[in-house]
Amino acid sequence: MSIVTVQLGQCGNQIGFEVFDALFNDSHCPGGLCSKRENEAYQASCKERFFSEEENGVPVARAVLVDMERKVISQTLSKAARSGRWKYGQHSCFCQKQGSGNNWAYGYSVHGPRHKESIMNLIQKEVEKCDSLSGFFIIMSMAGGTGSGLGAFVTQNLQDQYSSALKMNHIIWPYGTGEVIVQNYNSILTLSHLYRSSDALLVHENDAVHKICAKLMNIKQISFCDINQVLAHQLGSVFQPTYSREGSFHYRRNPLGDLMENLVPHPEFKMLGVRNIPQMSENSLAYSTFTWAGLLKHLRQMLISNAKMEEGIDWQVRPPLSGLPPLGKMSVNKETHFNTSIANLVILRGKDVHSADVGHHRALKRVLCAEHLKIQLSILPG
Amino acid sequence: MGRRRRRQPDPADAARALPEAIAALSRTLPAAPSPEIFRRAKFDRPEAAPALWRLLFHVLSPLSADSASVSFTLVDGPPELASPIAEAQVRWVKSVLHSQGYPRLALVQLQDDGSQGGRELLLALAWLLARGPLPERLLTQSHVRLGDEMPVCECEALASPGPPAPRVEAEGSVDIRHLQWLMGKLQLRWRNLMAGQQEQCALLGKIHSYTRGCHSDRSLGHLSVTETELLRDPEGGRQLLQRLETENARLEAALEWRHRELVFWRWMDTVLDTCPLEASPPTFLPRIPEPGAGAAGLPVRELQALQEELQALQEELRKAVEARRAAWQAAVGGHGPEWRAARRALQVAVAQDLAALQWAWEQGKGQARPHGPRRLVRTEARVPGRLGLWATEATEALRAREACLEAMLHQLQGQCRQELARLVGVRPGLIWVPPPAR
Repeated sequence: MSIVTVQLGQCGNQIGFEVFDALFNDSHCPGGLCSKRENEAYQASCKERFFSEEENGVPVARAVLVDMERKVISQTLSKAARSGRWKYGQHSCFCQKQGSGNNWAYGYSVHGPRHKESIMNLIQKEVEKCDSLSGFFIIMSMAGGTGSGLGAFVTQNLQDQYSSALKMNHIIWPYGTGEVIVQNYNSILTLSHLYRSSDALLVHENDAVHKICAKLMNIKQISFCDINQVLAHQLGSVFQPTYSREGSFHYRRNPLGDLMENLVPHPEFKMLGVRNIPQMSENSLAYSTFTWAGLLKHLRQMLISNAKMEEGIDWQVRPPLSGLPPLGKMSVNKETHFNTSIANLVILRGKDVHSADVGHHRALKRVLCAEHLKIQLSILPG
Repeated sequence: MGRRRRRQPDPADAARALPEAIAALSRTLPAAPSPEIFRRAKFDRPEAAPALWRLLFHVLSPLSADSASVSFTLVDGPPELASPIAEAQVRWVKSVLHSQGYPRLALVQLQDDGSQGGRELLLALAWLLARGPLPERLLTQSHVRLGDEMPVCECEALASPGPPAPRVEAEGSVDIRHLQWLMGKLQLRWRNLMAGQQEQCALLGKIHSYTRGCHSDRSLGHLSVTETELLRDPEGGRQLLQRLETENARLEAALEWRHRELVFWRWMDTVLDTCPLEASPPTFLPRIPEPGAGAAGLPVRELQALQEELQALQEELRKAVEARRAAWQAAVGGHGPEWRAARRALQVAVAQDLAALQWAWEQGKGQARPHGPRRLVRTEARVPGRLGLWATEATEALRAREACLEAMLHQLQGQCRQELARLVGVRPGLIWVPPPAR
């Protein structure tokens, strides 16, 4: 089943490009641990999900690019075309000239209704190319005007027009010390609208990813490109093909469906986050060894102590004993650092993945596995 | 030309006829025991009971999707080694037989652990066999299908519900958020199912159009998924062949059974004879002869005393029942106009339902309602063939059914809303905040 991505605004388009790039490179990288037949099955599954086939054989990303300025979109298109390995559709983008000026209302109430038909037509064309639609990704930032305002508008329209398809909004949480003055207003307005029309909100925090780049990846001058690449890597490790623990004959066909069924069935709890382990630069990879037990232990503590990355985990935090604490005994001053997520999904990728024992970790529930490619563990707390 | 001497029937043949008939029956039913078990059941031997409970369970339950999992082989080993049947399954068999109208009370009175009652079970099996073409029906259900099939009606699914799922009782109070979670999960699973089915349809369409012209049968024209897999994967082909051979064996056994079944029925008569008579509840008092004189008079006088006592007891019982009934009617009728209004509303609703049913039946009277699963064939022919059905007709029938169900859903939702409104009215001062609609 296929996923159609809607990239909105500068942030959305830049991240979208990195995501497709990461997905494509991952599914086509040579070597790896599996037989040729399995590799081909993996490639085919990934390709069907995110790319469509064109006559000359170059895969075309199933994406619609929307921005109110020309610059970013043309940069994105040319970067993709330059690689020669995959590209965006020529007619899959929509841009205007004047921008949104970081104004949520301008994006939602002016650009939205004015360009609704063109944008929805583009999406419709992309949907028709799919054999079957699993759902939509909508990548947007909350600080700016286009991503936030127009994103909320587009999501609402998708809800009206494709009510049976699943929608996951990828929201970029701005820096705490961000430079857009009105980012708080934009964020609140976006979240309140999205909560009604979206099925799941996957939040990526700029601050957290920045720290990962600085501390784990040892990048000196961190640019948005680095941040986007880390983000794309996280997304790829979640949405690349997997099979379930019980049956490893075929790849699961509906990744969005599986994820949503396990994490966001309740209409009031829709926010998700991703945690990956291990994350490091390519250079350090040669000097490290990993075991499933060690990785799982770290991941579990990351989850419990609400840490966003592998370093600086607070090992003192323990999960509370079962049952609610008696009323009145909790001191108001003491901050509970315990993570209050409701549901979790673990995705394991790597060698000997079946030997990984997730069973006795009470906090980790449903598990999806894949034997492919890089060793990665991701966990999404709901 | 000499006259052909008629061959005398060989008595050995007669002795063999019954076990062969039962063996044929066993070969065509799923999970059937050997003829020896049948013989032991006639004499109510304990070892026969579990095997026959199992047989009845398999015969009555709707066939699971994986017909290969149901064992068709005879249980050759000693029956004690076969796995014991669960209590829930025994109770389920009893309830299904009762709902189908099985008359003998002795079956219901058998113990739930499945350890006794071989003879009664034999009678139940014979009753099922006599009512309708049981082996043929089972064979149709487990028939190996080569085409891509789609059901056009729900009759099969509705007629035979499977064993009930184990009930989970909620302990203490239930967290409404947990219920919402489960409800949401169900809805999402439903949506995933729908999406999966749509994908299946799209892919089926592709396979059908790609394999056009490949089928040897011209009227079909293209391959189905099973047939395509057959070409791609020889191992799968071997398994399919095995299933077809098994089905063949069962069909042959069914034919043989039909030839030989007379012997079985004659034998079942003898089984019925060995059963004790069913005790019927006394509907009248036994007639006591006139009291005679002399020594015979004493027990007769005692009998008379007993008769009077019985009459007195019956009178007392009747009075008690009447008192109870009057009290109930008073309690119910005590609501007065409210109760009468409710009753009238109920009568009106029932009359409406009946009228709607009648109208719906009259609408559909002209067309033959399509039934049963059908093979999907993509064709450009003008005429659908003898047993064919256009997809448009099938979708129309399904849409009509959908409209009926939607109407029912709206009615039930209205009832729920009324009930909620009533509850809201009962507790003034509460603010009800419903969750956001999805």
